[in-house]
Amino acid sequence: MITGRLVLLALLGVVPVVLYPGAASILLWAALLAAVTALDLSLAASPRRVGIVRTLPDSVRLGEECRSALVLRNDTPRPLRATVREAWQPSAGAADPEQALRVPPGESRRLAVLLRPTRRGVLRVGTVTIRSSGPLGVAARQVTVPAPGVLRVLPPFNSKRHLPSKLRRLRELDGRSAVQIRGAGTEFDSLRDYVRGDDVRSIDWRATARRRDTVVRTWRPERDRRVVVVLDTSRTSAARVLDEPRLDTGIEAALLLSVLAERGGDKVHFLAFDRRLRARVDSTAKGNLLGSLVTAIAPLEPELIEADWSRVPAQVRAASPHRALVVLLTSLDSGAVEEGLLPALPGLTGRHAVVVASVRDPRLEEMTAGRSTAAATFRAAAAERALLDRAAIADQIRLLGAEVVDAVPAELPPLLADAYIRLKAAGRL
Amino acid sequence: MTSRGRTPGTEAPGPQPASRVEVMGDGGSVLATARSRIRRSVPLILAAVVVAVIILVNLLPGQETDDRPLSPGNPAPQGARAVAEVLAAEGVEVVRADSFDDAVEELGDGPATLFLNDARQYLSATQVADLVDAADRAVLAAPGPRQLTALEEDFEVLGPLPLDLGDPPPLAAECPDTDATAAGTLSATGTAYSGAVECFPTTVGDATGGLFVTSEDGAVAVLGAPSILSNGSVTDDGNAALALRALGSAPTLVWYEPTGADIVSSGEGIDPRTLLPPWVDPLLVWLLACTILAMVWRGRRLGPLAAEPLPVVVRAAETAEGRARLYQDSRSVAHAAANLRAATLSRMARRLRVDRSASPVDVLEAMSRHSGRTRTELQQRLLDHTPTTPRELVLWAQELLDLEKEIPS
Repeated sequence: MITGRLVLLALLGVVPVVLYPGAASILLWAALLAAVTALDLSLAASPRRVGIVRTLPDSVRLGEECRSALVLRNDTPRPLRATVREAWQPSAGAADPEQALRVPPGESRRLAVLLRPTRRGVLRVGTVTIRSSGPLGVAARQVTVPAPGVLRVLPPFNSKRHLPSKLRRLRELDGRSAVQIRGAGTEFDSLRDYVRGDDVRSIDWRATARRRDTVVRTWRPERDRRVVVVLDTSRTSAARVLDEPRLDTGIEAALLLSVLAERGGDKVHFLAFDRRLRARVDSTAKGNLLGSLVTAIAPLEPELIEADWSRVPAQVRAASPHRALVVLLTSLDSGAVEEGLLPALPGLTGRHAVVVASVRDPRLEEMTAGRSTAAATFRAAAAERALLDRAAIADQIRLLGAEVVDAVPAELPPLLADAYIRLKAAGRL
Repeated sequence: MTSRGRTPGTEAPGPQPASRVEVMGDGGSVLATARSRIRRSVPLILAAVVVAVIILVNLLPGQETDDRPLSPGNPAPQGARAVAEVLAAEGVEVVRADSFDDAVEELGDGPATLFLNDARQYLSATQVADLVDAADRAVLAAPGPRQLTALEEDFEVLGPLPLDLGDPPPLAAECPDTDATAAGTLSATGTAYSGAVECFPTTVGDATGGLFVTSEDGAVAVLGAPSILSNGSVTDDGNAALALRALGSAPTLVWYEPTGADIVSSGEGIDPRTLLPPWVDPLLVWLLACTILAMVWRGRRLGPLAAEPLPVVVRAAETAEGRARLYQDSRSVAHAAANLRAATLSRMARRLRVDRSASPVDVLEAMSRHSGRTRTELQQRLLDHTPTTPRELVLWAQELLDLEKEIPS
């Protein structure tokens, strides 16, 4: 391995070659170069005797930065002048993977590579390459050391910003009078004084008779219900809507709903499924739900296989043997749904309250509006057909007794949370 | 299936404490690296050797490819191998000269005949005169006018014989030269020359000349028709007799065919490379070496490439776009129109709170109540009219959008 300095030195050889033309000057200068290279190589610190210790954070949220720290220990009696490269995969967003470093003999030095990941998932680094140059800097020895490392990049949970408002709405359900939220599952909470505006039908006459003031009964939403979130990781989840895979939008919605339901006092079960179980998280497990959720979700990738919906009811039953709110995060593309989801839905709607949530592509609506040329009009017609098919499938799902939440990527998480709050208020969980 | 142990979340290698362990070296050594490099480059080296051998074989002069006309080794009809073989059988040593110096040297060794076949006229007049002087007897095959100027003997080119379609009549010797008289007749065409003794006379234009012209003493002969030596025609008439007698008079025959390498610079054109200073060639060699060094310097990567598992990129609206292209390619105007109509009706039904199961006529009824247009007009524009060409479809689709805008939501 030679460096630019050797090439410069070789170019200096032009002077003797011009002054004393002939084979002798060429051979002499070549011999000089070879001698200098050999001397420098023999004086360079051996890169094989450099100890490497990597320190990596466990995980990092997508969009945030972290540092991969390398500690290099020089085990040779010679000073190490090295260029070090950490071979991160490109989506790890390493800002400075190549760094120059000097380590005196017997000492250690630390270098940090700034990582700004651009993809959710498990990012890997395979090797560390050390190029150790000699004191003259004309030649170097290079060794690639296998030093595998793994960084888990967690989903960004951008829908977190909707959480405070949804939680406030959830709390407002508390202490409402019974009539407004009359339903099967509401529970008696307490008695309080009548205030203007309360429905007179909720006055508890027996308690009123015992006291001098008018007293109304209040109810609180049912608690300790179960929410099963099923995330479809099959081939339809790979399709990109607004340059984000459906899977990632579904993850955002699942995270918001899970955190909301847990704060609302419900038990949450999360399943990622296509033909087999890809991930499963239960809120009954110890530790915080959000942490275990994002850790389980991080390595999920769309699988290029068809989902097997016939096995979903069994999975849901295994997660929650009792009645639950089952949220299916999938797509409503015609074709895949008619053969997969629709036949399996009756098995779920019979026992559970079911919500089917899907990402709608705003591009389709844009296409319906453009009718200026023949090509655009044909596109508009095709987009209308796709939207009509979607609407027809949504109607079929509603006929089977499930709710449908069909929204563009930005609106899907809050709308799904609204659907949950609505069902909870109505006591249908 | 339900056990947590089988979920990928626990299968994937987490940030394990193993990554805190110190790693040192790649388990190899300098020798092992060198050995593996050499082993890996063995196929490349083999390929380079094969290529070098192929190039060398092609550069070496091929003996078997002797296809020049009147070459003593060429057995083709244009060759002259028959004459050379017969002369060799008669005891004449046929020597092929490769260069001018070679030919002069061979001629100086002893009594020898020169046969100079310079069809491309590479040699200069001085060179031809030097060769003729060195030889005891010289036969020049169709020399050019420029090449004859320096000879002591006086020969001149008259010009080519007129092209005679069909078989030219054989020419009679009609001269005192013994070789020519022995041959008797000659059947060939060629170039006529004038000189001291003109045999096989013919006329070109006004002048008369001969196909075989010799000097007074017969030491220099100009053969205007060298094709009599060729394998194809040597047996015709007296061709063979003339050829064998003219070439076989001395114990050695020097057969010389000049090449481009024998050209002597006349001093008019100067090789531009001789004007360059002497250090240019070594400098170029050294710069080539520097270039190779620079390539090695820039060509070595700092470790192997890191692979990225690429995600699948499928746009969700792709199916709709594909369907649109299908409509357009098959010009399914009716299909497209039906889609647009159904979409408009369903949007209007939703906007005007018409029941989902209502018929299109009911929707039109509601629309006419809200837009101020009559139901028949709406029916005509929306239901009854169906465009047939893409152009009509565009106009009609825009009309539908305008209609939708008229209905307040």
